[in-house]
Amino acid sequence: MAHIPDGFLSAPVIAGTAIASSGALAIAARRSRDSLGGEEAPLLGATTAFVFAAQMLNFPLGAGVSAHLLGAVLVATLVGPWAGMLVIFSVVLVQALLFQDGGIAALGANALNLAVIGVGGGYATYRWVLALVGVGPRRVISAASVAAYVSALLVGAAAAVELALSDTLPFETALIAVVGSHALVGLGEAFLTGALLTLVYRTQPGLIAKQETPSGAERGWAYGLAAVSLLVAILAAYGASSRPDAFEAAIKQLGIEGTPLTHFTGPFADYTAPIGGPWVAAALGVAFVFALGWSLARLMARAGRRR
Amino acid sequence: MSFRHLDQFAQVYSPITAIAPVLRVIGTVAVALAAATLRLGAWAQLGTLAGLVLVLAVVARIPLPTLLLRMLGPLVFVLFASVALLILVPGEVVARVGWISLTDNGLLRFGSALGRAFTALAAAVILVSTTTFPEIVQALRELRLPHAVTTALGLAYRFLYVIVDELERLQRAARSRNAGAGAAKRRRLLVSVVAAVLRRSLVRSERTHRAMLARGFQGEIVSLHRSRVDARSIALLSLLVLVVGAVTLSSYMDL
Amino acid sequence: MPLLEVTDLKYRYPDGTHALSGVSFAVERGEKVALLGPMGAGKSTLLLHLNGLLLPASGSVTIDGIAVSGGTLREVRKRVGLVFQDPDDQLFLPSLLEDVAFGPLNEGRDPEDAELLARGVLQSLGLGGNELRAAHHLSGGEKRLAALATVLVSHPLVLVLDEPTSNLDARGKRRLVGLLRQREETLLVATHDLTMARALCERAVVMADGALVHDGRLEHIVSNREFLDHHGLWADL
Repeated sequence: MAHIPDGFLSAPVIAGTAIASSGALAIAARRSRDSLGGEEAPLLGATTAFVFAAQMLNFPLGAGVSAHLLGAVLVATLVGPWAGMLVIFSVVLVQALLFQDGGIAALGANALNLAVIGVGGGYATYRWVLALVGVGPRRVISAASVAAYVSALLVGAAAAVELALSDTLPFETALIAVVGSHALVGLGEAFLTGALLTLVYRTQPGLIAKQETPSGAERGWAYGLAAVSLLVAILAAYGASSRPDAFEAAIKQLGIEGTPLTHFTGPFADYTAPIGGPWVAAALGVAFVFALGWSLARLMARAGRRR
Repeated sequence: MSFRHLDQFAQVYSPITAIAPVLRVIGTVAVALAAATLRLGAWAQLGTLAGLVLVLAVVARIPLPTLLLRMLGPLVFVLFASVALLILVPGEVVARVGWISLTDNGLLRFGSALGRAFTALAAAVILVSTTTFPEIVQALRELRLPHAVTTALGLAYRFLYVIVDELERLQRAARSRNAGAGAAKRRRLLVSVVAAVLRRSLVRSERTHRAMLARGFQGEIVSLHRSRVDARSIALLSLLVLVVGAVTLSSYMDL
Repeated sequence: MPLLEVTDLKYRYPDGTHALSGVSFAVERGEKVALLGPMGAGKSTLLLHLNGLLLPASGSVTIDGIAVSGGTLREVRKRVGLVFQDPDDQLFLPSLLEDVAFGPLNEGRDPEDAELLARGVLQSLGLGGNELRAAHHLSGGEKRLAALATVLVSHPLVLVLDEPTSNLDARGKRRLVGLLRQREETLLVATHDLTMARALCERAVVMADGALVHDGRLEHIVSNREFLDHHGLWADL
């Protein structure tokens, strides 16, 4: 997924993300040792190897599209968030060093996005959802699926911000292309995480880390946060619909206003959506093409290595 | 598995393999950083760094066609991303291809990103071709990465082979039991195979832990490797770092 | 004083199933004993107690006079070499050399010494030349020997083997048995392979349902058809 290659980020962003991820991972290392102790080493090793192997698999969804597993939330539900960060970091590290999947200079950024934000943000979402719905087995799995989707979005958002801050892409374009494609890729992530956890739970439920029932205070915060988020979303939608020029500018830049692409999304354009109207349709179209191109490129890149 | 022959040049003696792995890693990081942070449009410096890396490849006794072949996979993705920059970055239009308008900024970023990525990529491929995986893990250990990470990586090597072996076996068994199944069924089979392998991996890690304890494991893997860092290698590395650093810095001066 | 002494050992799994219900036996220095019994009899569980990977619910295990407990694990594990059923569990490092040197390094030896010891053991088992190879490049029989090497390198007083000939072809079995016959360590082998047991051991201890049901000469058991049937054992007679 969002493995940024070298050459796309500026020096300040490289430095900043390296510092941020180092700090976070140092904390994760300490916390992980406290919670897992001596058993840590082989468990992390096996999980790292598994994630690495699973990330190379194609899960066909039909019509030539396939899903790939990132595994941030999956790993966090099995070994906990801190060990999870270390596992994903190890995977990202090996991918960058051995397979050039993601740049070496960009390692700090990729580690921050995937290991810290992907796992941390995903796990936080997981606990948030659990606080809203409770900790029964099916809820745990549904919460994990939702969290997996959100973690994909967060990874995309982080990458978009880094690209924009590096002056590589304008912010709106980065948002549409990168976050948009992750919004689609996240569906596969959510499906796979849920499916795998369900099967694991059915045969060996003990493997999924026991989740403490959220406390009253935790649930209070969760509901509060949910209400605030809803409010923010409504305000943002209202704002976007009354000022479609941001999207419009991006579409104009792409030069696709009069193209087959927008004609293809035409049926949606005529539908007066409450948010953004035809620009949402075009944005979706761009995101879809980008996601398709992205996954095709990665597929070819991987096929190129399978010799 | 695709990574079996990656480090074939590690067995070949060259001035590069004579240098301790940890220094090779530092050198690669230095070159990658220098390439990645070159100022946009600094074509002369970019050419210099790219040339330097190609020279390093020759010194490492890696034939250039082999080097390029190994870079091909990642390059495809880099190309896609660079083309995205070409099309998506706004600026003054300088050309039109079909319905796509190419801007000056887009071209600048396209060329810079592609060039910088290419150079950094070449450095990484040289490293991985001349250094075995255990050597890389040892280098990371010497660079003081968290023990949890280096130990996990050290164990992951064997785990990966065992896991991939299991994946292939289970997949073959599932496929032979369900020949001619539709796409949806095949996907469900794959998911159940992966889930089974996940379960087994976690159980296997517990058994491995026991085996480690039985042989006195205290929490950290003590390495067999001894550090090969000597003064000459450090001098060479410092020279490399200075040179690439100077090239990159010069790209920011008064051009 | 027996080298290995198990006294009224009881153990129950976290989910409540009784695994061992009062097992007692002793092994003298130099003895070679076969541990027999059908699957689920508790053989593996018993073996895990011998080096403190599991600790008794009640009863005791004594190795070389040292009672196995949380505080004596280090000393016990120096004396007991446990070889697990699946060699992949024991060969977890990128090269055989590192795998075999693992024990000595953990004991505090210098890398140079550890490497010398490891090379020596690998050579003596006929695996010289494979030091830098990873375990997955070896045949099943070679893997078994490598797993054995990881334990022999620490010169344990007693070797405990769990199904050492499972998944081995005839040649592999012969090689392994031939090797073990030459060794002088005290030996306790849990196995279904009565042929191998007969080649190595004089004495047999038989388990069923977590209890010890027989302790005597292997030859007597092997020729007793009724006994074999009753205790779920199989022999090529």
